[in-house]
Formats: sequence, structure tokens, C-alpha cells
Amino acid sequence: MNRNNFFIHLALALVLILVAAFAGQLSRWRKEWRSRVHIVPTAEKKQAATSDEIALSETRSFGSPEVLVKFKSGVSDEAIEALTARLHDRVEDRIENAGGVEAIDDLDNADPASIVAEYSKLPEVEYAEPNFEINLEASEGPLVPVLPHDPQFENQWALSNSGQNGGKKGADISAPLAWATTTGTDKLVVAVLDTGVDYTHEDLAANMWARPDGMAPYHDAELGTIDDLNGFNAIDNASDPMDDNGHGTHCAGIIGAEGENDLGIAGVNWKVQIMPLKFMGAGGSGTTKDAIEAINYVIERKKAGVNVRIISASWGSTQRSRSLEAVIRKAYENDILFVAAAGNASTDNDRTPHFPSSYDVPNVISVAALDRHDQLASFSNYGVKSVAIAAPGVDILSTWLGNEYEEKSGTSMATPVVSGVAALVLAENPRMSVDDLRKKLLASTDPIVALKGKTVTGGRINAAKALE
Amino acid sequence: MATTKNDAVENARKDLAKRLKIDAADVKEHSVEDTDFPDMALGAAEDGEMSGQMMTRGWRIKLEAQGQTYEYRADKNQVRAFKFKGKNYRI
Repeated sequence: MNRNNFFIHLALALVLILVAAFAGQLSRWRKEWRSRVHIVPTAEKKQAATSDEIALSETRSFGSPEVLVKFKSGVSDEAIEALTARLHDRVEDRIENAGGVEAIDDLDNADPASIVAEYSKLPEVEYAEPNFEINLEASEGPLVPVLPHDPQFENQWALSNSGQNGGKKGADISAPLAWATTTGTDKLVVAVLDTGVDYTHEDLAANMWARPDGMAPYHDAELGTIDDLNGFNAIDNASDPMDDNGHGTHCAGIIGAEGENDLGIAGVNWKVQIMPLKFMGAGGSGTTKDAIEAINYVIERKKAGVNVRIISASWGSTQRSRSLEAVIRKAYENDILFVAAAGNASTDNDRTPHFPSSYDVPNVISVAALDRHDQLASFSNYGVKSVAIAAPGVDILSTWLGNEYEEKSGTSMATPVVSGVAALVLAENPRMSVDDLRKKLLASTDPIVALKGKTVTGGRINAAKALE
Repeated sequence: MATTKNDAVENARKDLAKRLKIDAADVKEHSVEDTDFPDMALGAAEDGEMSGQMMTRGWRIKLEAQGQTYEYRADKNQVRAFKFKGKNYRI
């Protein structure tokens, strides 16, 4: 070899070494990247874990052992070699610290389950199991809160209390965490039984129910046929449930003001269908008879195929009505939840019942109100036996007549918070029965000291817990 | 049309005079105070009446006639007689 050839070979060898080194580094980089890359389960709603977790997978690269086999004591190495050779396998490794387990590679690269079955049948074998590949891969990690860009969201302490206006941080329903799972569905209808709803409000219009094409107008034997295109008005048995007070519009916004639309506020549900029902007039009150007619309308619409699963009832009185109780029971029989305000008289409903919230019907949830400090609102009724749960209900910002937004207080405002959470639960579990839904909601609270001895659950509804 | 405080007081005076069958001039204003009522029936629901459970800003109107004090409750939407001879009335 002359001097020139020597240097050429030397340079070539150096290049090959560098190429090999670079290839090795590439491989390491690739492995490293794979172990860090997270596949987000539901792309826009869930974010991957902040730390990797070890997960098992049956996928294996070609040439790696398919099974781990523990031979019985007394079986010699030679016997094992012969046995595996007969099965067209080979022993790739013996793992002494695992009690002499043999890692066996099937040269036909057959399905691990069939190889395990094959070895398990042999009298020499104590046990055989697949060689699961252990990967560092993404898993569903903790949910990351989702915040909407609705401009007044920062004032919605009930949904996300950061301590704004002197409130208690975290005294909220954990809506952003719930929204990491779901922001609602337009497949679900929530009936707002109230003063009607301003269905033209800019923050509500997209989430309003309308009678589906092909569904016949509402017909009642006594009332006749009513063109219920936008809902039902039980006061004059007419078609227009437009709100002339504001209360119903406020409640509707709490349940389902359109979220992430760059307008006003976000409802507990960003997407839902609000069915407006009017039985209270401009003064904010109505008759028992009209309430019954409106509930009956909801039941009939459910029977006609409308997926209405919740009635939100932010009203009441201390007068019991057996007829009203009966129609609420009928709603229960039709799998409809009835969420009702506990009342604002600062009294104990166990002693002085407030209706409809105090009816002993399985679909009724009675709701007390909390302030931004996690204190029972000074006006709120309570009842360790008769008031089920509490929700934010003081200075609640929501939609109002004329494309406006106002802060209001009352168990009226706490009620649609719970109705809204119920709708989120049904968005995730559309077939959940009303019994299970009620149970789920009552089991999804944060314990609040101020509620001890005041409500059945002693807690504030937590939307994120309700979706666990 | 929204009711003003003055309108509400005037309507209450006329109503009380009618109920007592006296001249409205004989009904005197005792006091009028801004207050929060517990519901939209102003805590003065009639029999069989259901009301929105929202705190409602309004006026507590106290009137005097024939040596007695009578209470009315009002907001921008309504005027109510509170426990007149034991019963509430929306006027």
C-alpha cells in the first residue's frame, strides 16, 4: 500500500466512523423524541401529562423475544435448547435474577399469545407469558383547565374564582377544569321554566332550542294547536316565550350562554339547547296552573322525541300544590331532572317547606346559594334534610334583556348553575338515567364548612368532579 | 312602563284609600325606604302565586290612615299591599 492509498483508507475509515456515530446519535435522538412526544387523546380538550408514565404494549419490534418462559426446576439447559429448537425458537437470554426465566424468540415471529399457549402446554414449563414491550409513552394525564375568551369571563367568579373583587380563590364550580372534558353538546335540551327567554340575545341565540323541522306544532286537547317554534308561553297559551322581565334570560345565560364567541360571558355549557318556557309575567311571578301546563308541555315534547332531560325552575312559594307535585313526578317518570331554587327567605326548609324544591320526588334537586367567599348567602334557605346542594348565587353575571348583562343574586341564580352542570354530565353520558344523574350531582361536591348541617351534601357543586 | 318611586307611592295611597273606603287625602306617607326583597313577588306573594327567587330592589312604603300603619311593597314592575288584613294583594 503506497502512502496515498493509506491516507485515502484512513480518511474513509474516519468518515465511516463519523457516519456510524451520527447514525447512533440519530437513533438516540429518535428514541428520546418518541419518549417525549405525547399524543393528546382528544386534541382540543385534553392535554397530555406533564410526566411520562410507563405503559405496557403488545407491540414488539421484529427479532425481539416474544415470550418469557419459566421452566420447571431440573430441566437442563440442554433440554431447553433442544425443546426450543424443536419449536423453531431460540433462547435469546436467560434472566437469572428472575428465577431463571428464559426469553424466547420465535423465529417464525408468530403471535405471542399462541407461543405462550404452546409453551404453557409443555410438561417442562412452569409458566409462560408474553414479553410485553415497555414503552415510555404518553398517558392521559391531569386535565388542564380551559379558559374561554369571552370578554366578561373574568367577572364570572362562580365559574372561576381567582379571588377577584375580594372573593375566595377557588370558591367556584371548577368550570375550566370541567371544560377540559366537555363544554356541552347541542344534542341536549334544557328547559328554562321561567319568565321566558330573550331568544334573540346575542349570547344566547346560537344555543336556543327551536322545534325541529318535521315535528308537528304542539297540540293539547284543551289548548288546541300552538305553533311552538321557539318554545311555549303558558300564560296566554301562545307560541311566543319572549322574556319581558329579564329573570329567565339571566337563568338561561348561566346554563348556556354561548362560549368562546368573543361576546359577553360563557355559560356553564358553551353549547346546549335552551328551551324557553314562559309561565311568569313581566312582574316575575306566575300561577301554579301555568307552571303545570309548561311542565306538561316539556313532558309531551320529550315523548315526541325532543331530548329534553332537565327542567330548571328558579321560582317557588311556600304553598304546596299536589297538582304541581304530580306533574313533577310525571317528569321523573319521563327521565327528566327537576332542579329547583331552595328559596330566599333565610329560613329552614325542613321546618317551613318551599315548593317545588321541597317536594319529595326523586328527580327534584333543591339548591341553596353561596357567595364568593363560600358562605351561605344571607338570604338563602337551607335544610339539612330537604336542601340537597349549594351553588354560587350572589352577584352572578349573566345575560339580560336588550343584549345586556347584569349581576343578580338569589337561589334563582344558583339553580341554573346546577342545571348547567347536570347538562355537562349528560353531554358526556347521554344515556344516564335521572336517578343516576341526581346521584352523580350530589356526589360531586366540595365540602364547605358553612354548609355543615345546612344541606344534605354539605357541599358546593363541582362540575369537574361531576365529570370524573 | 316602569313604575317610579313617586308613582308607586301614589298608587299605594289610592289603593289603600279604596280598601278603607276613605279619601286619598286622608292617607299619609309615613316612610319610603329603598330595600331588597327576597323574591320577585317582593315577599308578598298572593295565594297560589309562584315567583322568581331573585333578590329584587324596590321600595318599602309605609302609609298611615285612621291611626294605623299599612305596608306596601313596590318595584319598577309592580305595587303590592303587604298583609292587608292578613292577605297580600298585587294591585
